[in-house]
Amino acid sequence: MNAKVIVAIVVVVIGVILGVSNFIESNVEYSDFATAQRTNKKMQVKGEWVKDQESQFDAEKGQFIFYMKDDSNTVVRVVLDGAKPNNFELATSVVAKGKFEGDVFHAEMVLTKCPSKYEGDSEAVKQSL
Amino acid sequence: MIGGIVIKIAFFSALAAAYLYYRVHRTQSNRWLLVARNGYHLATLSLMTSAAIMLYLILTHQFQYTYVWNYSSTDLPLPLLISTFYAGQEGSFMLWALYTAVIGVFLMQYSSRKDYEPEVMSVYSLIVSFLLLMLIVKNPFEYIWNSFPNDLIASGPIPSGVTNSVVLDAARGIWARFPVEGKGLNPLLQNYWMVIHPQVLFSGFSAMAVPYALAVAGLMKRDYHSWIRVATPWSVFGAMVLGTGIILGGYWAYETLGWGGFWGWDPVENSSLVPWLICVASIHTTLTQRKSGAFVKTNFVLSLLTFIAVLYSTFLTRSGILGDTSVHSFVDPGMWVYWLLLGCIALFSAIGFGLLFVRMREMPKVPVEHSIVSREFALFLGAFALSFVALFVVIGTSSPIITTILKNKASAVEISYYIQTNLPLGIAITFLSGLGQLLWWKHSKTTSLLKSLAIPTVLGLATTFVVLLLGSEEFLILLFTFCSAFSLFANLQVGYGVYMGNPKFVGGSVAHVGIAIMCLGFVTSERYDEKKTVALEKNKPVEALGYTMTYVGYHPYEGEKYAFSVEVEHAGKKRIVAPTMYYSEFTKGVMRHPDLINYLTKDFYVAPLSLEEPTGTEQKFEILKGDKVEAGSLQVTFMDFDFSNMQKGAMVEGKDFSIGVDLEVQDGKKKIPLRVLMKNTPQGPEYPPVPYVAADKSSYEFTLVRLLPDRDDKSKSKVEISVKLPDNAAFPKKAETLVIEASIKPYINLVWVGTVTLVVGFFLTIIRRVEEARLKGSPPSSE
Repeated sequence: MNAKVIVAIVVVVIGVILGVSNFIESNVEYSDFATAQRTNKKMQVKGEWVKDQESQFDAEKGQFIFYMKDDSNTVVRVVLDGAKPNNFELATSVVAKGKFEGDVFHAEMVLTKCPSKYEGDSEAVKQSL
Repeated sequence: MIGGIVIKIAFFSALAAAYLYYRVHRTQSNRWLLVARNGYHLATLSLMTSAAIMLYLILTHQFQYTYVWNYSSTDLPLPLLISTFYAGQEGSFMLWALYTAVIGVFLMQYSSRKDYEPEVMSVYSLIVSFLLLMLIVKNPFEYIWNSFPNDLIASGPIPSGVTNSVVLDAARGIWARFPVEGKGLNPLLQNYWMVIHPQVLFSGFSAMAVPYALAVAGLMKRDYHSWIRVATPWSVFGAMVLGTGIILGGYWAYETLGWGGFWGWDPVENSSLVPWLICVASIHTTLTQRKSGAFVKTNFVLSLLTFIAVLYSTFLTRSGILGDTSVHSFVDPGMWVYWLLLGCIALFSAIGFGLLFVRMREMPKVPVEHSIVSREFALFLGAFALSFVALFVVIGTSSPIITTILKNKASAVEISYYIQTNLPLGIAITFLSGLGQLLWWKHSKTTSLLKSLAIPTVLGLATTFVVLLLGSEEFLILLFTFCSAFSLFANLQVGYGVYMGNPKFVGGSVAHVGIAIMCLGFVTSERYDEKKTVALEKNKPVEALGYTMTYVGYHPYEGEKYAFSVEVEHAGKKRIVAPTMYYSEFTKGVMRHPDLINYLTKDFYVAPLSLEEPTGTEQKFEILKGDKVEAGSLQVTFMDFDFSNMQKGAMVEGKDFSIGVDLEVQDGKKKIPLRVLMKNTPQGPEYPPVPYVAADKSSYEFTLVRLLPDRDDKSKSKVEISVKLPDNAAFPKKAETLVIEASIKPYINLVWVGTVTLVVGFFLTIIRRVEEARLKGSPPSSE
């Protein structure tokens, strides 16, 4: 076996280890608030915005604060770094990615899921007649 | 209707051309060659016709077509209206197919001169026909009443008020209505980038089919070497165009979409990066084969993979499989497209790799040069590292699929995954791109390697030292900085030497200089950026990150959009940035676009977050029983509590009750009683605001904040109230406040300068390789 083959094998092994470990580490699991709070890990929680509770933008900190109910009906105060996400009012569900800090879920990102295009389109086509 | 038929004609003639070209190849007789050519030309012509029809439908606002209705509207300016051609899935497939077909016309002429036409064009026509099949499955010319039969089709007599209607079946009295206005173009896409970027990107995507077709042709002809010479100019062309498209997209994201950076590792971005990486890797390994004849199989594999990667990328971003896991919303195009895309990947992989497998045994085995310190080995490692980057990006982007299979729950990887896996590879790539060039140069000159290493190493260390002073302590980042700088100076040195010898050969060095400069730009702008959220009250200067910002107000533009002007003072100079925000009916949300000041050494980047409306000044008072406070022009006295509305025991039993607080307001000479209260409801206490209009017509609002009764000494009981003062000059309200995120991107210009340099390098290389391919039969030139 020559030196080059050994170099190549070492590089491949290091590469595979690097890839696999990072892949596992950086995959953020989908979960609910209870699990996220118990494990204190970064998680993604799907749920919906509780519209009748307070929601506001804190101008000093640049954070958007709202209440979110996850699929197992736990309501939690969510603090998002940034402005109110686009389509927030329309969203049928939202996904918050972040970590618990005490009783508050500190989200670094909130994705909004909008009604499927074609459900909306039937309405839109009637409007544009 | 007619458009759909023309597409079908295009599809069948492309398929026929593929078959006839194959027959020419099998029989080695030119009997069918002319027919095959005409078939291909007919396919291209038909596709061009259908594209022209589509454009005509868009320009004349024919909203009876679903596609036109879905993406355009009558209020769009002409360039944007044209760009709605490729705003949706069907249209962008059509653009891709169109560019692929047109490139094929040039490829036909080119390959016929190289004696490659039947093989290349049979493969290439098959590719074109599959792209056309996509357009048959997902017809861009569908009538809107076929998309929404329940909403639009009716029977019986047409009511007199209906203007836009068409009779579908006169005998049975069936007719349909159609819209008078389209849904319009997503505002995110409404800028000049939309006119340029997709065009360039799809040209690049289309060009990636050529190396694949040439590789398969080489396998068909049992020609394992000279196909490379034929393919290289196309690979370099594809890499140049796709690379330009990718970076244009990055600049779009940075400058207009407000992603905060030029690269977000988004699936859409990644899926164009992967084919580019593989293509660049193949350009490097073919260099070795040209010289020593080694890497025959590697070159086939990489050239085949370039196109397979394009197909896989398309599958990822177009099949709807990534669904919920990205900021981009991926429209689910339906099962047909999903399976057709998968089928395409399977078919073209099977053709390419199947043939490769069959031919493998008869391929020449050329031993690779043994020395570890050789240009060949450096090239090999470099290409290897590039392929690994591509692989990691593919795995990361496919994460939702992988996790669905493994855990039955889709989840995406975070950006940190891409950085942590690619940083070590980036270090290797930049280092090798310097070393490899020096090794090559060493061969042609008599300079010793060590001597040639000296200058780049010293200058690289100097650069790293400067970066160290800037404050980085991350070892890998410093190493990456060193390797990038090393590569920059090594390639400048080599480039200068080459230029002195033969200026035509300088393309490689120039491209590497470009990459090295880009890498340095990545480090400075992404690792040394500073960010801060700032609230800017109107006309009040605020200092942040060394800049003094003053929000001076907003003004409308283009109708209902608003630009927010912020004066930025830095180093004695004043400039205005105007980020924009507006409500979009299309997305039903607020659209935000950043603005930036481009200094030579940095960008000052302002992303708007929100505008806080002015609120009247509110004052809070704690008042002792019988005491008087001054609120605006009024004097307020706390008289007494009123417990009359509180039945005995109600508090204990949790029933509704209320507690009043009697105030006396002295307004000028009049004394007016006013009652604020707390209502207890099952949901908790409520404090309803009580409006009061003063004698001077200014309006106040009183709200009870809390009760502070003293049980022992009733005279020490207090209440807290809040008074909203009227909005007038006497009581200036807090002005409207613009909230922004300000950031500094140091030396981001390096990224753009590097990009331009890279493209120039590619361009010089194409000129050289085209010239070389023209001199058919001449001995391999020295590299």
